[in-house]
Amino acid sequence: MNAKRIWSWFVVAISAFYFIMPLVATFEFSMRMRRGEYSFDAYRSVLSDQQFASTFGYSVGMALITIVMNSLLIVPTAYWVRLRMPQLRPVIEFVTLLPLVIPSIVVVFGYLRLYNSSSFLPFTNSDTGTNILLVFGFMEMSLPYMYRSVDTAMRTIDVNVLTEAAESLGAKWHTILFRCIFPNVLTGVLSGAFISFAIAVGEFTMPSLLNRPAFGPYLALIGANKAYEPPALAIIAFAMTWISIILINITTRLQKGAAGAR
Amino acid sequence: MLTQSLKLLSLTTAIAIAASGMARAGSMEDLVAAAKKEGTLTTIALPHDWCNYGGAIEGFKAKYGLAVNELNPDAGSGDEVEAIKANKGNTGSQAPDVIDVGLSFGPQAKKDGLIQPYKVSTWDEIPDSAKDADGFWYGDYYGVMSMFVNKDLVKESPKDWADLQKPEFANMVALAGDPRQANQAISGVFAAGLSAANGDVAKAGDAGLDFFKGLNSKGNFVPVVGKAAPFAQGTTPIVLAWDYNALSWADGLKGNPPSEVIVPPTGVVAGVYVQAISAFAPHPNAAKLWMEYLYSDEGQLAWLKGYCHPIRFNAMSKAGKIPADLMAKLPPAENYAKAVFPTLDEQAAYKKTITENWDKVVGANVK
Amino acid sequence: MAVAQPLIDRRTITNWIGVAPFALFAILFLIAPTVYLIRGAFLTPEGDLTLSNIASLFESNILAAFSISVKVSAASAIGGAVIGFALAAAISIGGLPQWVRNAVLTFCGVASNFAGVPLAFAFLATLGRLGLVTIVLRDVFGVNLYATGFNLLSFIGLTITYMYFQIPLMVLIVTPAIDGLKREWSEAASILGATTWQYWRLVVIPILWPSVFGTLLLLFANAFGAVATAVALTGSSLNIVPIVLFAQIRGDVLHNANLGYAIAFGMVVITGISNFIYIWLRMRAERWQK
Repeated sequence: MNAKRIWSWFVVAISAFYFIMPLVATFEFSMRMRRGEYSFDAYRSVLSDQQFASTFGYSVGMALITIVMNSLLIVPTAYWVRLRMPQLRPVIEFVTLLPLVIPSIVVVFGYLRLYNSSSFLPFTNSDTGTNILLVFGFMEMSLPYMYRSVDTAMRTIDVNVLTEAAESLGAKWHTILFRCIFPNVLTGVLSGAFISFAIAVGEFTMPSLLNRPAFGPYLALIGANKAYEPPALAIIAFAMTWISIILINITTRLQKGAAGAR
Repeated sequence: MLTQSLKLLSLTTAIAIAASGMARAGSMEDLVAAAKKEGTLTTIALPHDWCNYGGAIEGFKAKYGLAVNELNPDAGSGDEVEAIKANKGNTGSQAPDVIDVGLSFGPQAKKDGLIQPYKVSTWDEIPDSAKDADGFWYGDYYGVMSMFVNKDLVKESPKDWADLQKPEFANMVALAGDPRQANQAISGVFAAGLSAANGDVAKAGDAGLDFFKGLNSKGNFVPVVGKAAPFAQGTTPIVLAWDYNALSWADGLKGNPPSEVIVPPTGVVAGVYVQAISAFAPHPNAAKLWMEYLYSDEGQLAWLKGYCHPIRFNAMSKAGKIPADLMAKLPPAENYAKAVFPTLDEQAAYKKTITENWDKVVGANVK
Repeated sequence: MAVAQPLIDRRTITNWIGVAPFALFAILFLIAPTVYLIRGAFLTPEGDLTLSNIASLFESNILAAFSISVKVSAASAIGGAVIGFALAAAISIGGLPQWVRNAVLTFCGVASNFAGVPLAFAFLATLGRLGLVTIVLRDVFGVNLYATGFNLLSFIGLTITYMYFQIPLMVLIVTPAIDGLKREWSEAASILGATTWQYWRLVVIPILWPSVFGTLLLLFANAFGAVATAVALTGSSLNIVPIVLFAQIRGDVLHNANLGYAIAFGMVVITGISNFIYIWLRMRAERWQK
């Protein structure tokens, strides 16, 4: 037990060093805006920009919607495929890997051509329509991670036995899904949710080409010609995304706790 | 009654002129009215610090009360052309009305049917070599290739291209982009080559590649893309970029670190960009009004404020329209007088040479 | 229990209806753009059918790009998988407190998407010639990092940078799988006299390897498609596939979008092949399970 603990702490410590150093270096550089002394000038410059708050808020909103839609789509599908159509698994897995190698710029060009104002599904005609298209785009981008996460979690629970047991106790399909399956794959769903969130908040190409006021394009705009503000912005974005994910984590655990106590 | 017939007459005339294919600037008032009816202009690839587009856009908005919808400021020329193609048939806010691209993109876009002709009222003051005879594309501004030097890390600045090969500049020289893709980076290689080839444009492409091969083998070349942040951080203390970019970065850094913009005496290369209106523009009249604004004295001087030489510079200078204080902010004029403006064919040739052979010759391949 | 013929038909139809939402989503928002890309790979810029784009894929410089891409992706995938697995194991069955697990998992959520220019700049500011760590090593420890031959702008440097988002990805996806290892199994194994090594070799690895390998594949494809970080870090010196692809699709100069689509098509094929290998291996292994 002791050796295991020591080894675990060692691994975590080395990893922490590797991950924190680049952030420290970025932070140190961002503090150098005022010549000769450390100051928060770059941060003041970034935070006083009202566009920062509005674009970050927009992206967080889109990200949360993406997570919910993703969970509602992927978990039932992964469950259904495992239960009823295992022969489809290779096909679905290949499909879920595609977004990694199809550059998002090609996807967006495809969307613009397929769903523009003169098509049968004119998403781009309105702001709401374009927002919906953007959410679908984010879902497409986070599909590989979400699916792999949920599928990995489902692998370790025996869905067939769980389903049969629940059915024999008289449960309907939605009870099975939401009260039996979901809680057991929650870690997988959360992992996928975290990744989806980070992707949606940081993504540049899609909201840029669809002309939505998101955080990614704002980051690029600041990064183009300034020296000290982009690293400051990167640190702020990192911190705020981390806080958002911690909040998602806490909220989910509280909900789960409440559900369990019922 | 009379005013109505006059309006009808001028409208019919305008239609007749437009119909006859000569896209001359019709009545300015009609244009302004039509543009105001459209209400918005959609631009793309116009960063606010690039040639003071920020100032130009604000001036345009203030003068005509139109809204400006700005797409992707980070787009390259290829992106802009692709954006027009992708938005064919889309009148949503993702479709650009106007583009600002490298010179060589004009003829290709015209050939692909992606742009529509329009001749601004100051058309005649644009040099012939920088515009399409039919009015499809027209030069807007130019700058020359320069060296942006970090004075904290470089004690004595290089004076000319050949100096860059000296050992004191080890791990210092960077291009402002990928020379296999970006116009600015390719022009940097070409300029070095032009200096090495003593002004022989035909040989400059290969000479440039050899120059960078030498730079790389001596360890002077840094393959990181040079921008304000890595420049200030110290990874790329000497960046080869357009003078307007360098001067704009210097402004933004405010002396932290102190910097110098050097236009070398040999190998002075001018890069011309061109404006065009999308053939599928959702707001064609707003687009034309924007062109009128950009080519008016006000627009041209806005660019000069951003350290870009507007295309009507020579004509305006002769007419005494350039304020002395703006001129004082630019690097000395003698070196600009030596600027070489490569023709379309020359550009195509050296671009092909550099992009295709960079990996082979310079071989700055990551081990 | 025997089932009558009509019941099977209804069940089959229900089965297919179950996957319909996903199928619809995939077709509208993933397959359609992919088809558009594949179509473009076989067209000229003027719109005529051609195989010339595919033929160009076998030109030496594009082939070299594919080869380098595969190497870099494999290196960062393997590195990320090994270290990521160690970290995932540490926080789930390593006997560490709950807060460490939460902190690591949430941090990995953010770090998994920390890529592109900010990441490249962060590493330049850390391990570049004037980076923080480089300077500290030189001034405080008297070690000249670059004199040892290390260079951030190299294959190793790029791999180290890529791992910043590969490791978190591995941790996030594999932790749920490790969670699934029941305590009873390790207890039962020790009761039966197995050493830790035997437990790992005979119980843990057979159960976990499909998940680990599948995630390794995901990491590979992830690195394969990543371009922003490579461009920002090694700019003009690394000839990897996404850079070539982007040069064609959005470049200022070369700009043959159809060749770009052909390159993307090549990437899809490579991903498909690696996925097929993984699935074939997994099917063979699963024959022993249920």
